[in-house]
Amino acid sequence: MNKVDSALVKVFMYGLPMVVIFTAFSYSYNTGIIDHATGAAKFFNNLAGLVYASWMALSIILSIRLMVSGTFRDQVLSRFTFIRERDEREVMLTGKATRTTFLTTLAILMFLFCLSCFQVSIYRVPTEQAVDGKIGFVTLGLTCNLMQVSKQVGAHADEPRRQDIFTYSGLPVSSTAIILGLIIWQIFSYNFTMRRLTKDI
Amino acid sequence: MAKNLPQLTIVNRLNVLRAERRLTQEQLAKDIGVTRATIVAIEGGGYNPSLELAFRVARYFDTDINTIFSVQEEKQ
Repeated sequence: MNKVDSALVKVFMYGLPMVVIFTAFSYSYNTGIIDHATGAAKFFNNLAGLVYASWMALSIILSIRLMVSGTFRDQVLSRFTFIRERDEREVMLTGKATRTTFLTTLAILMFLFCLSCFQVSIYRVPTEQAVDGKIGFVTLGLTCNLMQVSKQVGAHADEPRRQDIFTYSGLPVSSTAIILGLIIWQIFSYNFTMRRLTKDI
Repeated sequence: MAKNLPQLTIVNRLNVLRAERRLTQEQLAKDIGVTRATIVAIEGGGYNPSLELAFRVARYFDTDINTIFSVQEEKQ
């Protein structure tokens, strides 16, 4: 790891608690908990903004470095994910644990993909709008939106007034939650599998 | 993986040689550059070492590989 990369990681890690403190301060300042009149408070609020902006820029640079540099990625992420390869047996076990993690993650991604594509709607319409005497309906749909599109307000305005019983349209969680969940899952899955394999072999 | 090939069971005399030399697993592991868990796994038959490690073990005990590692039986 060269000096710049080493400094990047250190500033990112040690800067994290500072960012949390400054964010809490900034929140208190903006909500009026801290008095705006004092010069020190204003100074700290400005400093918080600067620190936050710098840390964000640093995070982007660090992420890009992790993507493009194999050696750097190996050194940093191995430490974060607790990968230990002290001898050939541990290298073999790491391979097996990584394979399990990769395949389970792929299965989870396929499951999430299916969930994101499916649309289910169960609803009731007023009796005057019944079709062949039926007032209950189940609508199934399949969609594949590769780009995030905002839902149009009033798109169903001309449709008959209906009482929704159950509506499912894509994943109910945000993309940030999914990404974070997958990161945590990868680390957990690898370490859990590694522990299990270490006991067996 | 190829089918219908006999499965080779590799056995070893590592614990015998170690006992003869009055070596602990920890000492042997340190001397040949592996972890104690690896020695435990090899002795227990749970892990077959690579050729390189097998040669290193043989050299350490000043013997040849066949003295330490051998094929015990063939299963269909």
